[in-house]
Amino acid sequence: MAKGHEVSIRPKGDVAVIDIKGDVTALTGQPIEEAYRQVTAAGVKKILLAFASDCYINSGGIAVLIGILAESKKTGQSVRMTGLSAHFQKIFAMVGLTKYAPIRPSEDAALADF
Amino acid sequence: MIEKKFQLHLPSTLGCEKVAMDFAASVAKNMNFPADRVEDLKTAVAEACINAIEHGNKMDASMKVGISLTVDRDRLQVAVHDEGAGIEGVASPHLDSKMEGKTDRRGWGIFLIKSLMDEVTFESTPEGNVVKMIIHLEK
Repeated sequence: MAKGHEVSIRPKGDVAVIDIKGDVTALTGQPIEEAYRQVTAAGVKKILLAFASDCYINSGGIAVLIGILAESKKTGQSVRMTGLSAHFQKIFAMVGLTKYAPIRPSEDAALADF
Repeated sequence: MIEKKFQLHLPSTLGCEKVAMDFAASVAKNMNFPADRVEDLKTAVAEACINAIEHGNKMDASMKVGISLTVDRDRLQVAVHDEGAGIEGVASPHLDSKMEGKTDRRGWGIFLIKSLMDEVTFESTPEGNVVKMIIHLEK
């Protein structure tokens, strides 16, 4: 039932952009966690989570993101997010995720914000 | 206006909640709910179904999750039924506590449902749990 999900990493200067397409749920969270572990192992301190605008994100996916943000807080990494639909921007603000990873309106705006 | 009812039954398999989301969204769009409220409804229905699958029916794929939509003139009621035993009350989630690993990182479903819907009730019956959610056309 899960929409084809795809996670990839792009370097942009000293920022690692993690592109996330498809479902973000407990079932599909592993590739996102693996991408995060990979950039962390490479010593990256600035991470941009770039979501496709049609991502389906549920409470299980929110838990996956909390795990990543908790780890990034421990390791002193900065995380930003972009690409989210207006609905999920609202959901992330309600949950409080934006306190730990601000949402920016575009990739350029997010990259300029680090 | 005569009340209209629509029903759907799903197996208790994660991912199937997306069928319920599309089902509810289709009815809400037909009632002319604005796009942002349709998105609210989709998330609330998905979370109610996930709770029914995981906590009510304990991921037993042979147990069904029922979704009933009742269309009234100015509101849509969604009832999500499972076949499980009563679910214990869930404390309000707190992000800082989850970030620090003091509480399970999951547990956002009921918070999201209550935050996004206009009226929400939870019932446990001998036949299972029922979450009833109401969304009004003009909030």
